[in-house]
Amino acid sequence: MLKKKAFFFIFIFQIILQSTALSKEVNIFTSRHYESDIKLYEIFRKNTGIKVNIISGEAKALEKRIIEEGKSSKADVFITVDAGALGSAHDKGIFQEIKSKTLETSIPKNFRTSHWVGITKRARVIYYNPEKVTSEDLKNLSYEDLSSEKWKNRIAIRPSSNIYNISLVSSIIENQGVEKTEIWLKGFVKNFSREPMGDDRAQILAVAAKEADIAVANSYYIAIMLSGEKGEEQKKAAKKVKVHFPNQNNRGTHMNISGAGILKNAPNKENARKFIEFLLSKEAQQHIVNNTYEYPMIKGVKLNPLIEQFGSEFKQDMTTKVDSYFKNQSKALEIMKISGWR
Amino acid sequence: MKNLNNKIWFILPFIISLLVFIPIAIIIYSFFLETSDYISLLSKTYLLNYLVQTFILLISVIFLTSILGIGSAYFVTFYKFPGCNFFSWSLILSFAIPGYIYAYSLNAFFSNYGVGYTLLNFIYSGINYNEVIPKINGIKGAIISLSFSLFVYVYLIVRISFNYQSQNMIDAAKNLGFGPIKIFTRILLPAARPGIIVGLSLVGMEVLSDFGTVSFFSVNTLTLAIYDSWLIYDDLTTANQFSFYLILFIFLFFFIENYTRSRSKFHTPSKSFKDIKKITLKGNKARFVTLFFFLIFFCSFIFPLMQMIYWIVKFPKFYGVFEFMEIFLNTLYLISISTSILIIFSLIINYGIRLNQNSLLSYLTIICTSGYAIPGVIMAVTLLTFFSYFSEIIEKLFYLNNIKNFFIGTTFALFVAYFIRFFSLAVNGIKSGYEKLNTSMDSASAMLGFSKLKTFKKIHLSFLKKNLILISLLIAIDIIKELPMTLILRPYNFETFATKAYYYASQDLVELASTPSLLLVLITSFLILILKRFILKDF
Repeated sequence: MLKKKAFFFIFIFQIILQSTALSKEVNIFTSRHYESDIKLYEIFRKNTGIKVNIISGEAKALEKRIIEEGKSSKADVFITVDAGALGSAHDKGIFQEIKSKTLETSIPKNFRTSHWVGITKRARVIYYNPEKVTSEDLKNLSYEDLSSEKWKNRIAIRPSSNIYNISLVSSIIENQGVEKTEIWLKGFVKNFSREPMGDDRAQILAVAAKEADIAVANSYYIAIMLSGEKGEEQKKAAKKVKVHFPNQNNRGTHMNISGAGILKNAPNKENARKFIEFLLSKEAQQHIVNNTYEYPMIKGVKLNPLIEQFGSEFKQDMTTKVDSYFKNQSKALEIMKISGWR
Repeated sequence: MKNLNNKIWFILPFIISLLVFIPIAIIIYSFFLETSDYISLLSKTYLLNYLVQTFILLISVIFLTSILGIGSAYFVTFYKFPGCNFFSWSLILSFAIPGYIYAYSLNAFFSNYGVGYTLLNFIYSGINYNEVIPKINGIKGAIISLSFSLFVYVYLIVRISFNYQSQNMIDAAKNLGFGPIKIFTRILLPAARPGIIVGLSLVGMEVLSDFGTVSFFSVNTLTLAIYDSWLIYDDLTTANQFSFYLILFIFLFFFIENYTRSRSKFHTPSKSFKDIKKITLKGNKARFVTLFFFLIFFCSFIFPLMQMIYWIVKFPKFYGVFEFMEIFLNTLYLISISTSILIIFSLIINYGIRLNQNSLLSYLTIICTSGYAIPGVIMAVTLLTFFSYFSEIIEKLFYLNNIKNFFIGTTFALFVAYFIRFFSLAVNGIKSGYEKLNTSMDSASAMLGFSKLKTFKKIHLSFLKKNLILISLLIAIDIIKELPMTLILRPYNFETFATKAYYYASQDLVELASTPSLLLVLITSFLILILKRFILKDF
């Protein structure tokens, strides 16, 4: 009987603990989980005395919880990867306007909106196996060229449900229009060397293993593999693969972001702003770039050498506003599915 | 007065039925809401594919689990062979490995430049093994992962049915000149049919509601259609409508299972039956059977375990002891509260059923227990919607603020979700104990002047002790392994081993998922061993 009482008190105590808010804190919902991010939050706490509480999970599940919690929500900041996902969250009205001169001056215009800002950049690049692909093949190669007959049975890429792919197609819609993109997709899908499966790293490994000649995947994965974090075999495999930045003679390589916004019902609004400003400080950006091999959002940050070796001066797509990824999202998914992209 | 007294016993089951009905009501409500055009897009493109893939997965897993489960149960019950005592219980250890963790291991071994590649390279390098090693991914991977992590349901239940078969029948068949194969197909299988159907229905339900494994291998099943319409197409209403059809499908299995259970009572063997005489296998037959068992044990338990240990050794990472201590305490907290609530309520309900032999009450109880047929993701999302709505009503009604903070983002919602999910386990576990306790015992106790409460405390509880321990252990195992509900409903900075493993695996850090996964498997295995040692002594 005593035990039951004890359990009951623990239960009540836990709930009280959970519902009392301390003021020197900021609560973040994040779908960007990196071990190094946690160290970064620790630096923030040391600098400001503000404790960072985290709940991590799948972006849509977090978004749903924020919406349902409504006014009682204790969440201050929502961090997620992919501009389309941020746009979708904004569309549901969960963000408030971010008023910060610091952020406005440091973040390029196409990587921010009034309600959310980009934290880091990643390029969706073409990986190729130099034993299978010549420099002639690569000359001026753009995403649009990947629908050509020449690439038949040579391309590896993730399934159409992958958000990075949806955003890539959205950006093509933004630049080429729906009809042209649809025609492009039909050819592109025919060129797949295998049923789309696995994550981005699996596509790069497929190129190394000659299961495909080229793959489309995010830029930081090759650096993760080269770092040896994934073991000797993957390091060796990664060395067999090279990076090509597409669309260099027109708009530039497709860039995506991870980003953050302050939530409408944030109880610690000031702390939230300080937190986001901190993420875009030189110190934090350098820390992120060193650990995650992404591209920095602000100027004056040195790239990680493992990613810098592929070129730091390539042309990034700075004209397509990343908030168009959300605008074209459902259309993109629709035509991807119709084209037979599994 | 007696009438009123009887009514009281209906209130609790009625309330619990309502609780179970919440997710279903929210799902049905979605049919009155506006949707995007995702369904029409899907029906133009991949809907058929989703259905076909679900069907292939379901049939294949049922086929494989029945071979593995019935085969192993048959040999363990009727034969003696080298290692049979060890295998008889060690197969249950596969229960400790959730499908999603199995999937991580399978993929790590067979993928390009995976562990298989490394091993072969270590023996002899110079061949591009990537071309040689079979790719076990996509639907193949999902079928294998789910089969090896689920066959144990069939094994356990079929073994119980085999155990209760009479040696007299087998002897009679032998006298008629039946060979072992004929005895198996003509006598043993038909008699064990209820057990087989119950076991396979459970497998069917698990396959249909699985998310972790199919999403890891991106197999287009109905659960993934639900997820995609929510996560990718951003249309929760359509997701809920899909869920409705999925749940209908799952409930089909649920009713098959319940119907079969109610038609065939698992009788305790009466003394007049002879014990089953085990036949000792010799020579190649014995070797073959031992090999069969070794392969199942290896594939279902040793292989994923070794994969995790390999990762931990290869990618060592320093974890604070406190971090895992905290996760352990979190888990313990969830388990202790959930188990206490579940057991108290199940005892009350079972006691009520015992006092009133009423069919309406039994039906209500069946509804109460249907919660485990609702997939975890659907349960979590519908509960979120419900609590949000419910607390807004209370806030308006009583002019209160911040009621939501009590329901959402605390462990409260988690306890409700666990309650709905595991209620069936608790109620049926106690029921099976109660059915063995003759009601004449109650009358005898009453005649001795014991009050009902005293009868309950002194006689029922001590009689049910074993069942209660069994239930607690099973609930503990399930909560440790549970992923989607915990992931969506938990409070800030609150991790369990399963959420921690998911956290790494979802971020391309599947190697680091090995430590929480291994701890999860070890703790669960430990609980299974306790189960074996104290409860399932004869196994």
